[in-house]
Amino acid sequence: MDGILSLSRVGYRYGSQWALRGVSLEIGTGELVGILGPNGSGKTTLLKIADRILEPHEGTVSLKGRPLQTYTRAGLAREIALVPQENHFQFAFSSLEVVLMGRFSHMGLFQFEGERDMEVAFASMEAAHCVQLAERPIDRLSGGEKQRVLLARALAQEPGLILLDEPTSFLDLRFKKEIFELLSSLSKERRLSLMIVSHDMDLTARYCDRIILLHRGRVFSEGRPEDVLTARNVEAVYRCPVTVDKNPATGSPRVSIV
Amino acid sequence: MTPQNNRQTGTTISIRPLTAGTVVKVCLILIALLILTALFSTMVGTAKITWGQLWNLLLGNAAATDPARLVIFRIRLPRVMLAGLVGFSLSLGGVVFQALLRNPLADPFILGVSSGSAFGAVLGIMLGLGFTFGIPVLAFGGAVLTMYLVLVLGKKRIGMESSTIILAGVIINAFFTAIIMFFIATAANDRLHTMLFWLYGDLSQSRFAESAITAPAVIAGFLILYCFARHLNVMTAGEEAALHLGVNVGRAKLICFLVVSLVIGLVVAFSGLIGFVGLVIPHLCRMIFGSDHRLLMPVSALSGAIFLIAADTLARTVISPSELPVGVITAFLGAPFFIYLLRKRGSRWTGS
Repeated sequence: MDGILSLSRVGYRYGSQWALRGVSLEIGTGELVGILGPNGSGKTTLLKIADRILEPHEGTVSLKGRPLQTYTRAGLAREIALVPQENHFQFAFSSLEVVLMGRFSHMGLFQFEGERDMEVAFASMEAAHCVQLAERPIDRLSGGEKQRVLLARALAQEPGLILLDEPTSFLDLRFKKEIFELLSSLSKERRLSLMIVSHDMDLTARYCDRIILLHRGRVFSEGRPEDVLTARNVEAVYRCPVTVDKNPATGSPRVSIV
Repeated sequence: MTPQNNRQTGTTISIRPLTAGTVVKVCLILIALLILTALFSTMVGTAKITWGQLWNLLLGNAAATDPARLVIFRIRLPRVMLAGLVGFSLSLGGVVFQALLRNPLADPFILGVSSGSAFGAVLGIMLGLGFTFGIPVLAFGGAVLTMYLVLVLGKKRIGMESSTIILAGVIINAFFTAIIMFFIATAANDRLHTMLFWLYGDLSQSRFAESAITAPAVIAGFLILYCFARHLNVMTAGEEAALHLGVNVGRAKLICFLVVSLVIGLVVAFSGLIGFVGLVIPHLCRMIFGSDHRLLMPVSALSGAIFLIAADTLARTVISPSELPVGVITAFLGAPFFIYLLRKRGSRWTGS
């Protein structure tokens, strides 16, 4: 596979408790990968290892064939961006200023943003459908608007891979769908790789090319959504009785709690 | 301010990010204001000096025996310069710490630098040391000692977590305050007065030598900190977010902590503890000029200098020929003004 990120037998422990163990996976170029799993299954730890917020105790991570630890922090930010669950700003910045923060790793010591930075920022805001928010203070936006600005900030880093940590958890139905459609088009049209941690099983199933189901820090099942999201798998991992059928409108697997 | 047209949506965006030109322009205006304030301050006082006299003195046209010459060059100008440098540093330190700790209540003393240097100074006063050498050296030593203790205590956890650092600062602060109170309780009357003045900030002992020592350090400190202006912008989004955006957070934090604490320790050694400047001036500037540290840092520093020169002028003229500690004036003026602004702008700490 034409991979961008590759983890090989990665393990990480908090104290003596392994949060992640023996995890190997590849993220391909232009692939939209969903990471599912119950609370405490290691999803967030996995994202943090992928962006070197945490260094694994075991195994190796490589980005574009190079070990992750050989990158500088700024070098890494030019390859991988992260969209957080939410981001609290202590002081007021306009949305445009927040998006321009995504250009940090592309700029020098004293440098002020130039034409190119502005172009990238606006293109990113266009892609994330939030140009109209540019002048608004970030702390006055609604959850859905804020999330689009944070996505634009990630795009402004011009990365090859974007990690998303439950980006839709505070959003209502319509914004959830919007974000997922946006992600899907980014992966198809721009060949961006996306790795999304989510609790939205139905949306993940519908939009992701591949799903990785984590359980107690290990990969429990991996593959196409319809192969991974079986009643057996979901029940085993989540310890909750479910039925899985096909969504009549989209054909993707639909998980319902019994 | 060129409007940027957006082809697809047709929205016109009129804001531009900050440019170097804007920063330079605003700073030049403030520098002019600073010079005016400084000149005005040298003219007022017990001995009145006119513009004409001042002009002649500055051009070197006055006779060597002119008493005004003595007043200006030996007494007032050194004091104005030191006040400027101290105000500059306190306000700069406040801006940096507020961003670094993501805490709008942070001031340059939050890591306990104040209590450490106060401990050194009070010890010096107890030992009967002088203001030219002994007391400043002990005060600076105390500041460096506290900074070291706070960083060692705070560093235990991964990457100097801000709350741990603040907690370490509070604890060290409490400890040194206890010692200071002990000294005050047991001090003789004449020394008590000196101590209280030092604890509330006192610029009356200023000489040119003090500005000559502090100026290079303050300027070097500013230049180093200014290299981190964009880092600070990004770090207000949170430390983990800053890491994702490419900031080497640990290194930036350590350098900023060290530089601010050293500069503050140095100026405080000569000025005593002047409160409020480092808290209020950054907030005022943030309300007026926005949150971008590339503008906010120089603007706050210069405003701090202007403010403290003005406050110190009041401190030595209000009850002339007696003097007040300048810290009394900064708090007395600063607090109501700050409350007014807070009410006017709502309860938001932020500008926009």
